[in-house]
Amino acid sequence: MSARSTGMQPAAPGGIAMGPRDEKLVPYASQRVAYWYFVSALALFVLQIVVGLWLAISYAFTIPQSVVDVLPFGMTRAMHTNLLVLWMLLGFMGGAYYLVPEEAEREIYSVKLAYFQLIVFLVTGVAALVGFTFGWTQGKPLLEIPTPLDFIVVVGALIFLFNVAMTVIKGKKTAILGMLLGGLTFLALLYLFGMPFYRNLSIDWFYWWWVVHLWVEGAWELVTAAILAFVLIKITGVDRRVVEKYLYLETALFLFTGLAGTGHHYYWIGAPSTWLWIGGIFSAMEVLPIIAMVVDTFLTQRRHGVVIKEKVVWMFALGTAIGHLVGAGVFGFAHTLPQINYYTHGSQITSSHGHLAFFGAYGLLNLTMFWYAVPRLRGVSRFKASLATWGFWIMCLSILGIGIAMGIAGVIQTYVERVMGESFMTAQGYMQLWFKVVLFFGVFMLLGVIVTFWYMMTAKQTNEER
Amino acid sequence: MSLINRNAFFIFLGGAAISLVIFLGLTWDTHRQFGALTHADKLSEQVVSGKHVWESKNCNECHTILGFGIYYAPDLTRVYKRIGPDSIKAAVKTPETTFATSFRKMPNLKVTDQEANDLTAFLEWVSNIDNHDWPPQDNAEAMSASERRLTGAGLSRGAAAFKENCMQCHSIGGTGGGSGPALDTVGNKYNAAIIAGLIKDPGSVNAGSRMPALSYVSDDDRQAIGEFLAKQGGGQS
Repeated sequence: MSARSTGMQPAAPGGIAMGPRDEKLVPYASQRVAYWYFVSALALFVLQIVVGLWLAISYAFTIPQSVVDVLPFGMTRAMHTNLLVLWMLLGFMGGAYYLVPEEAEREIYSVKLAYFQLIVFLVTGVAALVGFTFGWTQGKPLLEIPTPLDFIVVVGALIFLFNVAMTVIKGKKTAILGMLLGGLTFLALLYLFGMPFYRNLSIDWFYWWWVVHLWVEGAWELVTAAILAFVLIKITGVDRRVVEKYLYLETALFLFTGLAGTGHHYYWIGAPSTWLWIGGIFSAMEVLPIIAMVVDTFLTQRRHGVVIKEKVVWMFALGTAIGHLVGAGVFGFAHTLPQINYYTHGSQITSSHGHLAFFGAYGLLNLTMFWYAVPRLRGVSRFKASLATWGFWIMCLSILGIGIAMGIAGVIQTYVERVMGESFMTAQGYMQLWFKVVLFFGVFMLLGVIVTFWYMMTAKQTNEER
Repeated sequence: MSLINRNAFFIFLGGAAISLVIFLGLTWDTHRQFGALTHADKLSEQVVSGKHVWESKNCNECHTILGFGIYYAPDLTRVYKRIGPDSIKAAVKTPETTFATSFRKMPNLKVTDQEANDLTAFLEWVSNIDNHDWPPQDNAEAMSASERRLTGAGLSRGAAAFKENCMQCHSIGGTGGGSGPALDTVGNKYNAAIIAGLIKDPGSVNAGSRMPALSYVSDDDRQAIGEFLAKQGGGQS
């Protein structure tokens, strides 16, 4: 088996080269583009955690004025979140380039454009990160990339959409492709609302959430639902029509609750009080499609009595469903009602929810796709689950530790600052221990990500039963 | 497409459309009301310049405003009302002295006088946005109710007034802000009358003082704070 020998070779240049294609594993040559998207995404993920550790240190200990003047917290925090957005978007794009040929049953419209577009995004990303160190920023959290770079991002996104759309138009059309293309177009359109300078701060934040909320609770849900549906069809062998039906019904619920649910960000920005009602009611329902997704994912296996051979991919898929439920669903629901949110808004509670939700819903989803595609692209059809399982549990337990520690810090902050009326810094004093706990788990998170990245790139072919 | 999937597809479109119509309808209504709720008539060119300063200095990357941003430093929605224009300008221009004793530092971002003035105008405008009285810690009504219940009952008038007006910057026994000196032994230095006068006009007692004049504190409260602080530090070094 040719795949076996390539899998055994860890040391091509850099140790991460793909090796020759096994047509049984990767039916279309152009799918190989995805590999470099995945490798870039994983490298940026590692970097994101490294920067995150510095942020945790800045919270847990006193950083001297001389260091703060040169390396302000805000600059490194901008790096942490931009790395997050960049690696996740590259992951989605790689996922799209991997699944589109198999779904449309033809090669990608232009492989050259796909590589060119990856370079565009990487160069823009590096320029943005270097720019931050010189204070080149738009000054809006998560959307710090300055306007000139924004235009390059838009051009890159248009190239991507054009390439995927042309492939779909010329090939077979499936529900998964429709959902994917719809989500990606929605994603790109929404980005435009974050670009202008708004004179009025309230209007600024109103449209900021059109990007951030409608991304994570709208466009990204469509993209990830499509990717998850693709992976589930492949690894469970469940009938496509069944998976597609649930794809439609679950995304219907996601959009029904998620669009008007944007209102839970409009409680305290100077918008009319109608949002307290609409935002509260719709966002409280946002947990329903997630529960449906978890139940559906578990039943998929039970209902059809299939034996899933790809244990690692299945573990990450289940992890995505549960992580989504805990991080986005439960932790989101906990402070979405205005009566509670009045006291928790803008505290470490939000930070706790953000970490659990991003990793649980989108981090694990990306890793599910990576674990499906990367071994195949490396010519490995079966590998030992051992280190992948270790990576999974180290990452999941670490992020849970981080989320819980931030959550406790948030409860302390809410009580001491917002109920007792003590000053911000007095509250932070009581919270400092928990920032040290965050740092502790952060170190393990880095370990988990490195183990996952390393083993994904080096896992060897095995024919043993596990 | 099978019949079942066709129905599922229409449920998908219908569900999204209903929510989208509600969302866009409310967006239209919000734009209708934003002018009044945010006092857009007071949104001067200086306020807009201040917003440019806010963004170019990356303030939002440590502070929250309207509760959005990063939770590393205090929320600034009502900072204008909380500490006033002079303290804002002092903090942004010389953070290394303002936060000298704080365990969390603010970088010196080389803010010019002009920029500090514009930023202050921006923060003044923000402090008047009608946002259902968020944040709670700067909402006098919500705070005084909980203060009465939680602390006020056990405190003398002077201690309660000190807590409300002074502890943002000053500390006693290690609790309180770090931007002003700790006041554990201030009684060794000043008597009640001097302290009461200092609160109204710090320069009259200490010419080099960076403390803003708290002219809004009532005469009775100043006297009570003076009496409370004059008792601090009798036997201690």
